[in-house]
Amino acid sequence: MALNDSRDFLDAAGPGGPDLLACGRAAALVWDRAEAGTPPDEHERDCPHCRAAHADAGRLGALVHRMAAEEIEPPPSVVDAVMTAVMSELSPHEVLLLESPHGPNRLGRPAAAAVLRGVVDRMDGLRARSCRIEQVPERFEADVAISVTARFGVDLASVTARVRQMVLAAGEQALGVPVRRVDIDVVDVWGEA
Amino acid sequence: MSEPSGPRGTRLHVGDSAVARIAAQRAALVPGVVGLRADLAQVLLGVAGSVLGRNRSRLPVDGVTAVVHGGSAAVSVTVVTRLGHNCREVAQEVQEQVAAEVAAQTGLTVAVTVTIADVLLD
Repeated sequence: MALNDSRDFLDAAGPGGPDLLACGRAAALVWDRAEAGTPPDEHERDCPHCRAAHADAGRLGALVHRMAAEEIEPPPSVVDAVMTAVMSELSPHEVLLLESPHGPNRLGRPAAAAVLRGVVDRMDGLRARSCRIEQVPERFEADVAISVTARFGVDLASVTARVRQMVLAAGEQALGVPVRRVDIDVVDVWGEA
Repeated sequence: MSEPSGPRGTRLHVGDSAVARIAAQRAALVPGVVGLRADLAQVLLGVAGSVLGRNRSRLPVDGVTAVVHGGSAAVSVTVVTRLGHNCREVAQEVQEQVAAEVAAQTGLTVAVTVTIADVLLD
């Protein structure tokens, strides 16, 4: 009799009473046997309730193992957002002060350098390579050191004057930072004559 | 929280988040401002919030921090602008408009500091 076969399953259940399947076996015990890899006994092979419990245990096991094995990758938008923030995080010495009657505002030094490089890049026959901006302490003026490369054949004697003029104008018009002095280094020429 | 003295003993509390939201809304409208830029802490809090399922409204406003103390508020706004606008003028305009807007809506005395984090070159 099926119920007799189940006696030891029932007895093995803890206090408080087991949750029984419709066939009388404790669901937890069938589940545990399935999880442990014990092959179904004669009753379990024929009983639809026990087969279902077996299958449930197998399904959860497969799901958990698959998820544990999966590499967790944050969605790309999260990576972008964090990286943008990391790259543009400004420490106090990475800002230039902008004059204002209501107390100084701040301009990211990398952004300011990118602006100056950008305007020099747009000049004919010149490319900016690096740009360093140092603000005069306690004042709003800045000293700029910029290195450029020139296209072969560009008159190098006039490069200095052209770049200086461009940096002075861009400092005042684009940044709002008065430029006190400009050091220009022509580091290379490119292209063929 | 602040407690400017109101008429007949009413007390007005204006929270940091309220001030930050007002400031963010006004700053975004200033000509030359392309957008507000959250700092690293705000981005990470946002990520944490989305993972933990926190209510987004409790998180800080991207690009703005505000601290209300007594009857005054200190507001910091971080914006991105575009080449062609004078950074100093954009910053000062944001400073003035945000200060005026927060003062008008909350009655607080406001000190605003603007940071231009980036200048778009395209």
